[in-house]
Amino acid sequence: MQTTTSRRSLRRDKKGLSSIIVVVLSLVILVVIVANVILWSYQMNQLDWERAQESLTIDDVSRKTRSSWFATYAEYQISDGNFVSGSYVNTQIIDGNYERFIESYPPRTFDINGTFLLDVSNHPLTSIKSIEIRLRFAVGDVGERWYLRAFNWTSRTFSDRGFNSTAGCQPTASWNYYAVNLTNEWRDYVWEDGRVLIQIADQGPDSTRTNIDIDYLVIGAVADGAVFSFRNSGSRTAHILSIWINNATVHRRFETDLFVNSGETFSYTRLDISLPTGQYIAKVVTERGNIGVYTGD
Amino acid sequence: MLRLWHNKRAITPVLSNVLLLVIAVAGMSISITATYVITGNLRETMGERLIIEDVWFTRDGISVYLLNTGKTKLSVEGVYVDYMQQTFTSLQLEPLQNGWTNMTRTWTADTVYYLKIVTSRGTQVADHYKSP
Repeated sequence: MQTTTSRRSLRRDKKGLSSIIVVVLSLVILVVIVANVILWSYQMNQLDWERAQESLTIDDVSRKTRSSWFATYAEYQISDGNFVSGSYVNTQIIDGNYERFIESYPPRTFDINGTFLLDVSNHPLTSIKSIEIRLRFAVGDVGERWYLRAFNWTSRTFSDRGFNSTAGCQPTASWNYYAVNLTNEWRDYVWEDGRVLIQIADQGPDSTRTNIDIDYLVIGAVADGAVFSFRNSGSRTAHILSIWINNATVHRRFETDLFVNSGETFSYTRLDISLPTGQYIAKVVTERGNIGVYTGD
Repeated sequence: MLRLWHNKRAITPVLSNVLLLVIAVAGMSISITATYVITGNLRETMGERLIIEDVWFTRDGISVYLLNTGKTKLSVEGVYVDYMQQTFTSLQLEPLQNGWTNMTRTWTADTVYYLKIVTSRGTQVADHYKSP
Protein backbone atom coordinates (compact mmCIF):
# COMPACT_ATOMS: atom_id res chain seq x y z
CA MET A 1 0.00 0.00 0.00
CA GLN A 2 2.83 2.33 0.99
CA THR A 3 4.85 1.40 -2.16
CA THR A 4 1.92 2.16 -4.44
CA THR A 5 1.56 5.57 -2.83
CA SER A 6 5.25 6.48 -3.26
CA ARG A 7 5.19 5.40 -6.95
CA ARG A 8 2.21 7.62 -7.55
CA SER A 9 3.90 10.56 -5.85
CA LEU A 10 7.03 9.98 -7.96
CA ARG A 11 5.00 9.98 -11.15
CA ARG A 12 3.37 13.25 -10.13
CA ASP A 13 6.69 14.83 -9.08
CA LYS A 14 8.01 15.32 -12.63
CA LYS A 15 10.52 17.97 -11.55
CA GLY A 16 12.34 15.45 -9.37
CA LEU A 17 12.44 12.89 -12.15
CA SER A 18 13.91 15.31 -14.67
CA SER A 19 16.54 16.36 -12.13
CA ILE A 20 17.60 12.75 -11.72
CA ILE A 21 17.83 12.27 -15.52
CA VAL A 22 19.90 15.46 -15.91
CA VAL A 23 22.27 14.40 -13.13
CA VAL A 24 22.68 10.89 -14.57
CA LEU A 25 23.34 12.17 -18.10
CA SER A 26 25.81 14.76 -16.81
CA LEU A 27 27.56 12.03 -14.88
CA VAL A 28 27.76 9.87 -18.01
CA ILE A 29 29.34 12.74 -19.98
CA LEU A 30 31.76 13.47 -17.16
CA VAL A 31 32.77 9.82 -16.92
CA VAL A 32 33.34 9.66 -20.69
CA ILE A 33 35.57 12.77 -20.62
CA VAL A 34 37.57 11.64 -17.60
CA ALA A 35 37.95 8.05 -18.85
CA ASN A 36 39.05 9.22 -22.28
CA VAL A 37 41.65 11.62 -20.92
CA ILE A 38 42.93 9.21 -18.27
CA LEU A 39 43.23 6.32 -20.72
CA TRP A 40 45.09 8.46 -23.26
CA SER A 41 47.33 9.87 -20.57
CA TYR A 42 48.09 6.30 -19.48
CA GLN A 43 48.99 5.34 -23.05
CA MET A 44 51.31 8.31 -23.50
CA ASN A 45 52.92 7.68 -20.10
CA GLN A 46 53.55 4.13 -21.23
CA LEU A 47 55.14 5.46 -24.43
CA ASP A 48 57.46 7.73 -22.42
CA TRP A 49 58.24 4.90 -20.03
CA GLU A 50 59.12 2.57 -22.91
CA ARG A 51 61.32 5.27 -24.41
CA ALA A 52 63.16 5.64 -21.12
CA GLN A 53 63.72 1.88 -20.96
CA GLU A 54 65.19 1.72 -24.46
CA SER A 55 68.97 1.64 -24.68
CA LEU A 56 70.56 1.22 -28.09
CA THR A 57 74.26 1.80 -28.72
CA ILE A 58 76.57 1.54 -31.72
CA ASP A 59 79.52 -0.61 -30.67
CA ASP A 60 81.46 -0.44 -33.90
CA VAL A 61 81.39 0.90 -37.45
CA SER A 62 83.80 -0.41 -40.08
CA ARG A 63 84.21 -0.31 -43.84
CA LYS A 64 82.91 -3.12 -45.99
CA THR A 65 84.34 -3.36 -49.49
CA ARG A 66 82.84 -6.67 -50.56
CA SER A 67 79.61 -8.58 -50.04
CA SER A 68 79.51 -12.17 -48.88
CA TRP A 69 80.08 -14.77 -51.61
CA PHE A 70 77.15 -16.27 -53.52
CA ALA A 71 77.40 -19.81 -54.89
CA THR A 72 75.13 -21.43 -57.45
CA TYR A 73 71.81 -22.74 -56.16
CA ALA A 74 71.14 -25.22 -58.96
CA GLU A 75 72.99 -27.78 -61.05
CA TYR A 76 75.21 -26.53 -63.87
CA GLN A 77 73.88 -26.61 -67.41
CA ILE A 78 76.17 -28.56 -69.71
CA SER A 79 76.39 -27.20 -73.25
CA ASP A 80 79.51 -29.10 -74.20
CA GLY A 81 81.11 -31.94 -72.20
CA ASN A 82 79.84 -34.55 -69.75
CA PHE A 83 79.05 -34.85 -66.07
CA VAL A 84 81.19 -37.36 -64.16
CA SER A 85 80.57 -37.11 -60.41
CA GLY A 86 79.64 -34.87 -57.47
CA SER A 87 77.03 -32.15 -57.42
CA TYR A 88 76.77 -28.37 -57.52
CA VAL A 89 76.71 -28.38 -53.68
CA ASN A 90 80.39 -29.44 -53.77
CA THR A 91 81.23 -26.17 -55.53
CA GLN A 92 79.87 -23.93 -52.77
CA ILE A 93 82.77 -24.04 -50.31
CA ILE A 94 86.52 -24.66 -50.50
CA ASP A 95 86.88 -28.07 -48.93
CA GLY A 96 88.47 -30.33 -51.53
CA ASN A 97 85.11 -31.92 -52.40
CA TYR A 98 84.43 -31.16 -56.03
CA GLU A 99 82.10 -31.73 -58.93
CA ARG A 100 83.84 -33.43 -61.85
CA PHE A 101 83.13 -32.88 -65.53
CA ILE A 102 84.93 -34.09 -68.63
CA GLU A 103 85.36 -32.61 -72.08
CA SER A 104 83.10 -33.91 -74.80
CA TYR A 105 84.08 -36.62 -77.24
CA PRO A 106 85.99 -35.19 -80.20
CA PRO A 107 86.33 -32.29 -80.78
CA ARG A 108 87.01 -32.45 -76.96
CA THR A 109 85.60 -29.12 -75.92
CA PHE A 110 84.01 -27.95 -72.71
CA ASP A 111 81.30 -25.42 -71.91
CA ILE A 112 79.09 -25.34 -68.82
CA ASN A 113 77.23 -22.54 -67.09
CA GLY A 114 75.70 -21.99 -63.67
CA THR A 115 73.13 -19.53 -62.33
CA PHE A 116 74.08 -17.32 -59.38
CA LEU A 117 71.87 -14.95 -57.45
CA LEU A 118 73.06 -11.78 -55.75
CA ASP A 119 71.00 -10.89 -52.68
CA VAL A 120 69.70 -7.56 -54.00
CA SER A 121 67.54 -6.97 -50.92
CA ASN A 122 70.68 -6.60 -48.79
CA HIS A 123 72.96 -5.47 -51.60
CA PRO A 124 70.97 -3.04 -53.79
CA LEU A 125 72.26 -2.81 -57.34
CA THR A 126 72.66 0.94 -56.93
CA SER A 127 75.28 0.37 -54.23
CA ILE A 128 77.40 -2.13 -56.20
CA LYS A 129 80.62 -0.92 -57.80
CA SER A 130 81.55 -4.16 -59.55
CA ILE A 131 81.23 -7.95 -59.51
CA GLU A 132 84.00 -10.44 -58.83
CA ILE A 133 84.05 -14.13 -59.83
CA ARG A 134 86.26 -16.67 -58.07
CA LEU A 135 87.06 -20.18 -59.22
CA ARG A 136 89.10 -23.00 -57.65
CA PHE A 137 89.62 -25.88 -60.03
CA ALA A 138 91.92 -28.69 -61.08
CA VAL A 139 92.37 -30.29 -64.52
CA GLY A 140 93.84 -33.52 -65.84
CA ASP A 141 95.64 -31.84 -68.73
CA VAL A 142 97.47 -28.54 -68.21
CA GLY A 143 98.00 -27.92 -71.88
CA GLU A 144 95.15 -25.50 -72.50
CA ARG A 145 93.73 -22.33 -70.97
CA TRP A 146 90.38 -22.05 -69.19
CA TYR A 147 88.05 -19.11 -69.36
CA LEU A 148 85.39 -17.51 -67.20
CA ARG A 149 82.62 -15.58 -68.95
CA ALA A 150 79.26 -14.18 -67.92
CA PHE A 151 75.98 -13.86 -69.76
CA ASN A 152 75.67 -10.36 -71.16
CA TRP A 153 71.97 -9.46 -70.84
CA THR A 154 72.34 -6.68 -73.42
CA SER A 155 74.01 -8.68 -76.20
CA ARG A 156 72.40 -11.94 -74.95
CA THR A 157 75.60 -13.97 -75.28
CA PHE A 158 78.27 -15.22 -72.91
CA SER A 159 81.04 -12.69 -73.00
CA ASP A 160 84.07 -11.36 -71.11
CA ARG A 161 83.93 -7.88 -72.58
CA GLY A 162 84.99 -5.38 -69.95
CA PHE A 163 86.53 -8.02 -67.64
CA ASN A 164 89.82 -7.07 -66.04
CA SER A 165 91.28 -10.31 -67.40
CA THR A 166 90.25 -11.95 -70.65
CA ALA A 167 93.42 -14.01 -71.17
CA GLY A 168 92.05 -17.01 -69.26
CA CYS A 169 93.90 -19.16 -66.76
CA GLN A 170 96.76 -21.47 -67.62
CA PRO A 171 96.37 -24.21 -65.02
CA THR A 172 99.02 -26.15 -63.11
CA ALA A 173 98.81 -29.76 -62.00
CA SER A 174 97.47 -28.88 -58.52
CA TRP A 175 94.48 -26.75 -57.47
CA ASN A 176 94.27 -23.49 -59.38
CA TYR A 177 92.73 -20.20 -58.31
CA TYR A 178 91.31 -17.89 -60.91
CA ALA A 179 89.49 -14.64 -60.25
CA VAL A 180 88.08 -12.03 -62.59
CA ASN A 181 86.54 -8.65 -61.99
CA LEU A 182 83.73 -7.36 -64.22
CA THR A 183 84.95 -3.76 -63.66
CA ASN A 184 82.45 -0.99 -64.42
CA GLU A 185 80.82 -3.09 -67.17
CA TRP A 186 79.24 -5.30 -64.51
CA ARG A 187 75.73 -3.93 -64.97
CA ASP A 188 75.41 -5.64 -68.37
CA TYR A 189 75.95 -8.99 -66.68
CA VAL A 190 73.51 -8.68 -63.76
CA TRP A 191 69.75 -8.96 -64.24
CA GLU A 192 67.37 -6.78 -62.18
CA ASP A 193 66.71 -9.59 -59.70
CA GLY A 194 70.44 -10.15 -59.14
CA ARG A 195 70.80 -13.15 -61.47
CA VAL A 196 74.24 -13.77 -62.98
CA LEU A 197 75.00 -16.63 -65.39
CA ILE A 198 78.63 -17.75 -65.30
CA GLN A 199 80.25 -19.86 -67.96
CA ILE A 200 83.37 -22.02 -67.67
CA ALA A 201 84.87 -22.95 -71.03
CA ASP A 202 88.09 -24.43 -72.29
CA GLN A 203 90.37 -23.00 -74.96
CA GLY A 204 88.94 -25.16 -77.73
CA PRO A 205 89.42 -28.53 -79.46
CA ASP A 206 92.63 -30.33 -78.52
CA SER A 207 94.15 -33.81 -78.52
CA THR A 208 93.43 -34.75 -74.87
CA ARG A 209 89.98 -35.34 -73.39
CA THR A 210 90.48 -33.52 -70.09
CA ASN A 211 88.46 -33.68 -66.92
CA ILE A 212 87.88 -30.60 -64.78
CA ASP A 213 87.18 -30.65 -61.02
CA ILE A 214 85.36 -27.60 -59.72
CA ASP A 215 85.80 -27.12 -55.99
CA TYR A 216 84.62 -23.54 -55.66
CA LEU A 217 82.84 -21.11 -57.95
CA VAL A 218 81.25 -18.00 -56.46
CA ILE A 219 80.42 -14.39 -57.22
CA GLY A 220 80.59 -11.37 -54.94
CA ALA A 221 79.73 -7.70 -55.13
CA VAL A 222 82.44 -5.08 -54.81
CA ALA A 223 81.21 -2.01 -52.98
CA ASP A 224 82.13 0.82 -50.66
CA GLY A 225 79.87 0.16 -47.72
CA ALA A 226 79.85 -0.11 -43.97
CA VAL A 227 79.16 -2.65 -41.24
CA PHE A 228 77.45 -1.45 -38.07
CA SER A 229 77.37 -3.33 -34.80
CA PHE A 230 74.33 -2.40 -32.72
CA ARG A 231 73.77 -3.44 -29.12
CA ASN A 232 70.38 -3.24 -27.45
CA SER A 233 70.99 -3.34 -23.72
CA GLY A 234 67.47 -2.13 -22.91
CA SER A 235 64.51 -4.26 -21.96
CA ARG A 236 62.53 -3.42 -25.11
CA THR A 237 62.96 -4.29 -28.78
CA ALA A 238 64.43 -1.31 -30.60
CA HIS A 239 63.14 -0.29 -34.03
CA ILE A 240 65.80 1.65 -35.94
CA LEU A 241 64.38 4.11 -38.46
CA SER A 242 67.45 5.90 -39.73
CA ILE A 243 71.23 5.98 -39.78
CA TRP A 244 73.16 9.24 -40.02
CA ILE A 245 76.75 9.65 -41.20
CA ASN A 246 77.95 13.16 -40.44
CA ASN A 247 81.22 14.97 -40.74
CA ALA A 248 82.16 18.62 -40.76
CA THR A 249 80.91 19.15 -44.30
CA VAL A 250 78.20 16.61 -45.04
CA HIS A 251 75.27 15.18 -43.08
CA ARG A 252 73.75 12.13 -44.77
CA ARG A 253 70.65 10.26 -43.66
CA PHE A 254 69.83 6.69 -44.66
CA GLU A 255 66.40 5.13 -44.17
CA THR A 256 66.32 1.76 -42.51
CA ASP A 257 63.76 -0.59 -41.00
CA LEU A 258 65.60 -2.71 -38.51
CA PHE A 259 64.56 -4.41 -35.28
CA VAL A 260 67.10 -5.31 -32.59
CA ASN A 261 65.83 -7.58 -29.82
CA SER A 262 66.44 -6.83 -26.19
CA GLY A 263 69.90 -7.95 -25.08
CA GLU A 264 70.97 -8.65 -28.66
CA THR A 265 74.07 -7.50 -30.53
CA PHE A 266 73.35 -7.18 -34.22
CA SER A 267 75.71 -6.75 -37.13
CA TYR A 268 74.20 -4.79 -39.99
CA THR A 269 75.80 -4.42 -43.42
CA ARG A 270 74.92 -1.57 -45.77
CA LEU A 271 76.83 -1.49 -49.03
CA ASP A 272 75.23 1.83 -49.99
CA ILE A 273 76.63 3.70 -46.99
CA SER A 274 80.19 4.81 -47.66
CA LEU A 275 82.12 6.13 -44.70
CA PRO A 276 83.91 9.46 -45.14
CA THR A 277 87.62 9.84 -44.67
CA GLY A 278 88.68 11.55 -41.46
CA GLN A 279 86.59 11.91 -38.36
CA TYR A 280 82.87 11.26 -38.61
CA ILE A 281 79.85 10.66 -36.43
CA ALA A 282 77.45 7.77 -36.98
CA LYS A 283 74.00 8.04 -35.40
CA VAL A 284 71.00 5.74 -35.25
CA VAL A 285 67.50 6.97 -34.48
CA THR A 286 64.84 4.67 -33.06
CA GLU A 287 61.08 4.84 -33.48
CA ARG A 288 60.67 5.80 -29.82
CA GLY A 289 62.97 8.78 -30.34
CA ASN A 290 66.26 7.62 -28.84
CA ILE A 291 69.57 8.28 -30.58
CA GLY A 292 72.73 6.13 -30.42
CA VAL A 293 76.00 7.83 -31.37
CA TYR A 294 79.40 6.53 -32.48
CA THR A 295 82.49 8.56 -33.32
CA GLY A 296 84.71 7.03 -35.98
CA ASP A 297 87.97 7.95 -37.61
CA MET B 1 -10.43 8.63 -33.90
CA LEU B 2 -13.10 11.16 -34.59
CA ARG B 3 -13.19 12.02 -30.89
CA LEU B 4 -9.45 12.54 -30.82
CA TRP B 5 -9.66 14.82 -33.85
CA HIS B 6 -12.27 16.99 -32.12
CA ASN B 7 -10.39 16.98 -28.77
CA LYS B 8 -8.03 19.86 -29.50
CA ARG B 9 -6.89 20.08 -25.91
CA ALA B 10 -5.19 16.67 -26.25
CA ILE B 11 -2.87 17.89 -29.02
CA THR B 12 -1.00 20.30 -26.78
CA PRO B 13 0.46 17.60 -24.45
CA VAL B 14 1.53 15.51 -27.49
CA LEU B 15 3.25 18.46 -29.13
CA SER B 16 4.93 19.46 -25.88
CA ASN B 17 6.22 15.92 -25.39
CA VAL B 18 7.60 15.77 -28.95
CA LEU B 19 9.18 19.19 -28.52
CA LEU B 20 10.78 18.14 -25.24
CA LEU B 21 12.11 15.00 -26.90
CA VAL B 22 13.63 16.99 -29.75
CA ILE B 23 15.21 19.44 -27.32
CA ALA B 24 16.58 16.58 -25.21
CA VAL B 25 18.08 14.83 -28.25
CA ALA B 26 19.58 18.09 -29.54
CA GLY B 27 20.99 18.87 -26.10
CA MET B 28 22.58 15.44 -25.81
CA SER B 29 24.02 15.67 -29.31
CA ILE B 30 25.61 19.02 -28.50
CA SER B 31 26.96 17.65 -25.22
CA ILE B 32 28.43 14.56 -26.88
CA THR B 33 30.00 16.61 -29.70
CA ALA B 34 31.46 19.02 -27.16
CA THR B 35 32.82 16.06 -25.18
CA TYR B 36 34.38 14.63 -28.33
CA VAL B 37 35.96 17.95 -29.32
CA ILE B 38 37.28 18.69 -25.83
CA THR B 39 38.76 15.22 -25.31
CA GLY B 40 40.03 15.16 -28.90
CA ASN B 41 42.00 18.36 -28.38
CA LEU B 42 43.33 17.10 -25.06
CA ARG B 43 44.35 13.81 -26.61
CA GLU B 44 46.15 15.54 -29.48
CA THR B 45 48.02 17.83 -27.11
CA MET B 46 48.98 14.95 -24.84
CA GLY B 47 49.93 12.70 -27.76
CA GLU B 48 52.42 15.11 -29.33
CA ARG B 49 56.10 14.09 -29.22
CA LEU B 50 59.01 15.13 -31.43
CA ILE B 51 62.77 14.87 -31.38
CA ILE B 52 65.61 16.67 -33.10
CA GLU B 53 67.41 14.00 -35.12
CA ASP B 54 70.12 16.25 -36.46
CA VAL B 55 71.33 19.84 -36.52
CA TRP B 56 73.45 20.88 -39.47
CA PHE B 57 75.31 24.18 -39.57
CA THR B 58 75.53 24.92 -43.28
CA ARG B 59 76.80 27.81 -45.37
CA ASP B 60 73.24 29.08 -45.76
CA GLY B 61 72.27 28.86 -42.11
CA ILE B 62 71.14 26.20 -39.67
CA SER B 63 69.09 23.16 -40.66
CA VAL B 64 67.21 21.06 -38.14
CA TYR B 65 65.95 17.55 -38.91
CA LEU B 66 62.88 16.60 -36.89
CA LEU B 67 61.11 13.30 -36.29
CA ASN B 68 57.52 13.07 -35.10
CA THR B 69 57.56 10.26 -32.53
CA GLY B 70 54.09 11.04 -31.19
CA LYS B 71 50.65 9.78 -32.11
CA THR B 72 49.28 12.87 -33.79
CA LYS B 73 50.11 15.18 -36.70
CA LEU B 74 52.16 18.20 -35.67
CA SER B 75 53.02 21.54 -37.15
CA VAL B 76 56.16 23.51 -36.32
CA GLU B 77 55.06 26.97 -35.26
CA GLY B 78 58.25 28.54 -34.00
CA VAL B 79 62.01 28.08 -34.10
CA TYR B 80 64.21 29.93 -31.64
CA VAL B 81 67.98 30.29 -31.60
CA ASP B 82 69.31 31.72 -28.35
CA TYR B 83 65.73 32.78 -27.45
CA MET B 84 65.41 34.78 -30.68
CA GLN B 85 62.60 33.80 -33.01
CA GLN B 86 63.80 32.82 -36.49
CA THR B 87 62.18 32.68 -39.88
CA PHE B 88 62.11 29.09 -41.02
CA THR B 89 60.68 26.82 -43.72
CA SER B 90 57.32 25.55 -42.53
CA LEU B 91 57.07 21.91 -41.57
CA GLN B 92 54.14 19.61 -40.87
CA LEU B 93 54.79 16.03 -39.85
CA GLU B 94 52.51 13.02 -39.63
CA PRO B 95 53.32 10.41 -36.95
CA LEU B 96 56.72 8.80 -37.70
CA GLN B 97 57.31 11.29 -40.51
CA ASN B 98 60.48 13.39 -40.57
CA GLY B 99 61.91 16.37 -42.39
CA TRP B 100 64.19 19.37 -42.47
CA THR B 101 63.36 22.88 -41.43
CA ASN B 102 65.89 25.49 -42.47
CA MET B 103 66.81 28.86 -41.01
CA THR B 104 68.80 31.46 -42.90
CA ARG B 105 70.76 32.58 -39.89
CA THR B 106 74.45 33.39 -39.75
CA TRP B 107 76.51 31.51 -37.17
CA THR B 108 80.06 31.56 -35.96
CA ALA B 109 82.32 28.54 -35.68
CA ASP B 110 82.92 26.78 -32.36
CA THR B 111 79.99 28.47 -30.66
CA VAL B 112 77.22 26.94 -28.58
CA TYR B 113 73.68 27.77 -29.65
CA TYR B 114 70.46 27.09 -27.77
CA LEU B 115 67.85 25.77 -30.20
CA LYS B 116 64.19 25.50 -29.38
CA ILE B 117 61.40 24.11 -31.56
CA VAL B 118 57.79 24.90 -30.66
CA THR B 119 54.73 23.23 -32.18
CA SER B 120 51.30 24.74 -32.74
CA ARG B 121 49.99 22.92 -29.65
CA GLY B 122 52.81 24.25 -27.50
CA THR B 123 55.07 21.22 -27.29
CA GLN B 124 58.73 22.22 -27.08
CA VAL B 125 62.05 20.49 -27.68
CA ALA B 126 65.22 22.36 -26.89
CA ASP B 127 68.91 21.67 -26.51
CA HIS B 128 72.36 23.17 -26.88
CA TYR B 129 74.26 22.56 -30.12
CA LYS B 130 77.86 23.48 -30.84
CA SER B 131 78.76 24.67 -34.32
CA PRO B 132 81.73 23.01 -36.09
